[in-house]
Amino acid sequence: MPKLSTTAAWLALALVVGSLGGCATPSAPYRPPWTGDPIADGLHAVTNAPAKDKVLWQMITSRSAMFQKDYQLAEDLLDDVLLSIENRYGDDSDARKSRRLFQDEADKFFIGEPYERVMAYYYRGILYWMAGEPDNARACFRSAQLQDSDTEKNEFRNDYVLMDYLDGLASLKLNASTDSNYMRSTNSARLAIPPQYRPSDNVLIFADYGKGPTKYAAGSYGEQLKFREGVSNAFEMKFITGQNSLHLGPYDDLSYQASTRGGRVMDHILANQAVFKSTTDAAGDAALMSGMVLAHGRNTQEVGLGLVAAGLVSKIFSAAATPGADTRDWDNLPQYLTFGTMSLPPGPHVLTIQYLDSNGAEIPSMTRTENIYVNPLPNDTVLYFSDTKS
Amino acid sequence: MNKSKARMTFQAAALLVVVTFAAGCASGVRNPSGVPVTEMQADERGFVAGTGIESQDLVSVTDKMARSLVNTPEISQFPGTPRIALDPVINNTRFPIQQDIFLTRLRSLLNSRTQGKMRFLARERMDALREERDMKRSGEYTSSSDPNIQEFKGADFFLTGKLDGQTTRTSAGTSDYVLYSFQLIDARTSEIIWEDFSELKKQGLEDASYR
Repeated sequence: MPKLSTTAAWLALALVVGSLGGCATPSAPYRPPWTGDPIADGLHAVTNAPAKDKVLWQMITSRSAMFQKDYQLAEDLLDDVLLSIENRYGDDSDARKSRRLFQDEADKFFIGEPYERVMAYYYRGILYWMAGEPDNARACFRSAQLQDSDTEKNEFRNDYVLMDYLDGLASLKLNASTDSNYMRSTNSARLAIPPQYRPSDNVLIFADYGKGPTKYAAGSYGEQLKFREGVSNAFEMKFITGQNSLHLGPYDDLSYQASTRGGRVMDHILANQAVFKSTTDAAGDAALMSGMVLAHGRNTQEVGLGLVAAGLVSKIFSAAATPGADTRDWDNLPQYLTFGTMSLPPGPHVLTIQYLDSNGAEIPSMTRTENIYVNPLPNDTVLYFSDTKS
Repeated sequence: MNKSKARMTFQAAALLVVVTFAAGCASGVRNPSGVPVTEMQADERGFVAGTGIESQDLVSVTDKMARSLVNTPEISQFPGTPRIALDPVINNTRFPIQQDIFLTRLRSLLNSRTQGKMRFLARERMDALREERDMKRSGEYTSSSDPNIQEFKGADFFLTGKLDGQTTRTSAGTSDYVLYSFQLIDARTSEIIWEDFSELKKQGLEDASYR
């Protein structure tokens, strides 16, 4: 039976090639050495991780550097991150490939989702202000807010409270007009209303707390990018030094920001890939089952084997399609951001930092003191505190 | 099924599996080739570009400002040599900049092209200059002139500038307009005796996978 043998031959070929295709497994993902020093591990990752993940590790390490008050390192890392974010215009072959049917989204060069990019600008802005450059800080807060534009839902566009608020305060410090920054910031406020500006205050306190949102993939093939809400025991903060006390609420909530932007363009691409994957899988199943039934009939054996082969090819296509969403995330971001100002005389001070729960009660285990030094006037003193140390 | 039909069927099936195989291979380790270091002129637009403030903008803006400033009558007809102090540029855009870089290039251009028709004051070096003078006054350092005479020059003019920006971002891309304005201010009267500007607009759109 020459016809049967021909059909059987290419059926066998399809099987062999299909199984060979399955052998092309991705390499094991990079893991830092985990020495216990987050900065050393992070820097190892920045140097040794795949190039597509470099910005991710720079983001993570920059925040570790902020925790440990290694501000110069944080500046260097964030400068590189911002260059990567700003220079991704035009044709990008890696990004183009990541949209292909048989390519993972996570193969693209990571620059983060908008809420992660916002935070890179935000932290760089804090560092510029610390260095006595409020206009460059303001530039960063403006760029941060811009990252949150172009949302699917208009009501969630440019709605970071602090970015507008700080833009206005920096302008006041530079003797410029604040336009409608304060009004915009209060319009966006959901959890707490920031206080009126006090531009004569010389101590600027940036703080964040809680564990920020994380990404996960949902859907039959992991094609939907979702955000798991972050957690925080603390809801408010209090800073006390001498007779001065500053009570701050959570002005921005990163989980809210991550999850309210609506769909990405990439979500539609991945959804189509998922449809392709499920359709080819179902078609493959149907062809295989029908083919096997027909292959048992004396007169339909050839047609049956043809259907089996077509079913196998369809299954191979289905298996090769990778509609999974990119879930790489900046995993040491906080849940809440806050900011406040105080007026203190130059010199050393002891600052008591209290964290309050949602009922306004102090969480004693989180209370700590920090020794600060207030710069001689007219220079501002910019301080950054987090509830995390690693 | 005749022989040619069977051959066509076989070829089509073989093609399909090869394509599938090739697609499967694409999921392995990728080693993107690098780009060799390319030396470029500062006024060239490179292959790494964003919508922000870049070297070619710095060069074109400061070149234009230097030409304009030299031809200002208050400078060209100033009795004696005008002394100019630099006041840092104010950044009112969304792009962090190195604040001194515009005025540094402008000063260097003017110093090299005008051959002494104007003098710039090294105000950013005053701490070191004061320390040197004090050491001379105390006799710890030698001096070729009387160190007790006050010789630090006052400014006749202040050269300063401001960068303003306007940004639009939609699904069609990002558009950044930057207005670079520079002023020469009479230190005695506060009059702005010269002002000129340059403006640039850039647009870009990132790949759909980032939107």
